[in-house]
Amino acid sequence: MKRIDSIIRPQNLDEVKVRLTAIGVQALTVAEVRGFGRQKGHTEVCRGTEYAVDFVPKIMLTIIATDDRVTAIVDAIVAGARTGKMGDGKIFVSPIDEVVRIRTGETGDSAV
Amino acid sequence: MTKIVERRPLRRLVLPSRAAVLLATSVLGVLLSPCFAVDVPKPDPAGIATGDKTTAVDAGGNGFAVTEPTDKTAPDYAKNKKDFDDYQAQAAKEPLAVKLADSVGHIRIATNFAWTLNTGYLVLFMQAGFALLTCGLVRKKNAAHLMMLNFAAYVFAFLAYYAVGYAFQFGAVAVNAAPGNLGGVPTLNHFLIGSGPWGFLGGNGFFLSGPAYDAGSNCLMLFEVVFMETAGYIIVGSICERITFWGFLLCELFIGAIVYPVFGCWVWGGGWLSQVGATMNLGHGYVDFAGSTVVHALGGFTAMALAVILGPRLGKYGKDGKPRAFPAHNLVYVVTGTFILLFGWMGFNPGSTLGATDLRISVIAVNTNLAAVAGSATALFLWYALFGKPDVTMACNGMLAGLVAITAPCAFVSPTSAVIIGILAGLLVCGGVLFNERVSKIDDPCGAISVHGFCGWLGAVSVGIFADGTYGSGWNGIGAATYLGHAGQGVTGLLHGDTHQFFCQLGGATLCALWAFGATFVVFSIVNKIKSMRVPPEVEREGLDIPEFGMSAYPEDAVVTVE
Repeated sequence: MKRIDSIIRPQNLDEVKVRLTAIGVQALTVAEVRGFGRQKGHTEVCRGTEYAVDFVPKIMLTIIATDDRVTAIVDAIVAGARTGKMGDGKIFVSPIDEVVRIRTGETGDSAV
Repeated sequence: MTKIVERRPLRRLVLPSRAAVLLATSVLGVLLSPCFAVDVPKPDPAGIATGDKTTAVDAGGNGFAVTEPTDKTAPDYAKNKKDFDDYQAQAAKEPLAVKLADSVGHIRIATNFAWTLNTGYLVLFMQAGFALLTCGLVRKKNAAHLMMLNFAAYVFAFLAYYAVGYAFQFGAVAVNAAPGNLGGVPTLNHFLIGSGPWGFLGGNGFFLSGPAYDAGSNCLMLFEVVFMETAGYIIVGSICERITFWGFLLCELFIGAIVYPVFGCWVWGGGWLSQVGATMNLGHGYVDFAGSTVVHALGGFTAMALAVILGPRLGKYGKDGKPRAFPAHNLVYVVTGTFILLFGWMGFNPGSTLGATDLRISVIAVNTNLAAVAGSATALFLWYALFGKPDVTMACNGMLAGLVAITAPCAFVSPTSAVIIGILAGLLVCGGVLFNERVSKIDDPCGAISVHGFCGWLGAVSVGIFADGTYGSGWNGIGAATYLGHAGQGVTGLLHGDTHQFFCQLGGATLCALWAFGATFVVFSIVNKIKSMRVPPEVEREGLDIPEFGMSAYPEDAVVTVE
């Protein structure tokens, strides 16, 4: 079992969701987050005075998948979220020890 | 405000059975104040004696009834006496016509009451517009604080104005500036300080009792109190995000009771500044139709003094002295609020005729809109040119700047002049916002000092430049028959040949700024010395909503658990 966390541009969420559901992803958790990477922040102008947006709004997607599905899911996210410009985001894949479905008490792969 | 001096007494009461009482009161009145009329007018709380044949006038304001001339030495005495005799003879022949004229006169006053009250309700609604505008322009963490300030401004300033403000401002309005469109309110005829053309403070009608417990007076009160409220909420835009609630309440009481009514008395209450045309040969005296200075510049410069005393918000200026932007948290509120203000201004300016029977109201309404759109377009394009993108909040400030600037001249200028005034205001408000932000470093979160202070000053000066003489004949008692050699010539500006009016406007508008800034600065510097009017730094960082009022404007943003 793997946990796939991806940080993407908010405007790319739709495209990523379409691609993920197309390959059969049934569960998806989304959080609105803010942060910066190599892209850093940017400046905006309000009433003639510049201000820095250091923490840029992003979307964090969390998907739990069985090991055999990871490559397909990562490919789908990359395809949906890539614009080729700095700030497209990152994907982190990490192992997880256990999954429990609260309703039935199932554990392991069948709970994913 | 209608400042045309009534040429006829409005209600003369003949009560022979109480002649002795009348005589005694008259003697007392003369002793107390030289401006007391011989026949003491009585208030009319039920409104059943207001409006009769003496208030029946034609479109040009010429009366139906003719009063008997009393001054036998006047040069036109013979002609006036003949007119009076002719009228008497005609009235004796056609008594039904005279009765009909009583109804016509009453209907005229009733029409004007309806107009004045309803436009007053529109002005009242501006309160909602300003609450939305200022709330949208500040940070989310202070949104509830902004709402409370706007709300409390209405409540407490209203009470202060009821108690003393109205009496200070209009307690002597009948002496020099009787609002004929509302029946003249003849009972408001006593200056507390000064007399005749040199009145400094009204003195009748405290707590709306006695002489002010009158239908006409209450109509005037409703309309004027919402104007005072406008000055009252202007300051919110400059002092928000850092003032304590108790400090703010003191500011509101000060505006409603003192700083606003005093200048208001000088200009609209028949005070000395309105009479400098007669006393110092300065055109029609100081003319401010609907309050560019009386309301807006006064509020703006009061706000400026308070902003200077409070100092800038934490973090507004970096260690290098450079300003930092605190972006507006809700542009939807800002635009909605601006349009509500524009809508309310359709009461503010046209309503200031105090009467729908004054048909200039259509020109005033169009001029007001034209200046608003011209101001907005100018600010929008100027920002486009300076910073590469038009700024919604500055487009809104530009619209309000145009509105503020056209408020004084709206009745006296042509539509094209209104557009020019709007453009000037649009330029001035942008310059003012940048100047305050970068040069003077007076932190003004919503731009109230530029919009209301600077553009208010510009508006009053604009009267002295652009007034074209088509309206305002007899204003402040000047030039009722002829002015500058023309019959029916009204208030006239520099471009149409009256330099006196220009200097009068320049001086009066500057005086307004000095009075508002000076009085406020002195009083609240002392208050601030005694106890700081500013919230502690940790409260300012957290946002004032919870520490000051115990609730946030957007509680769903916080994670709340019941236990």
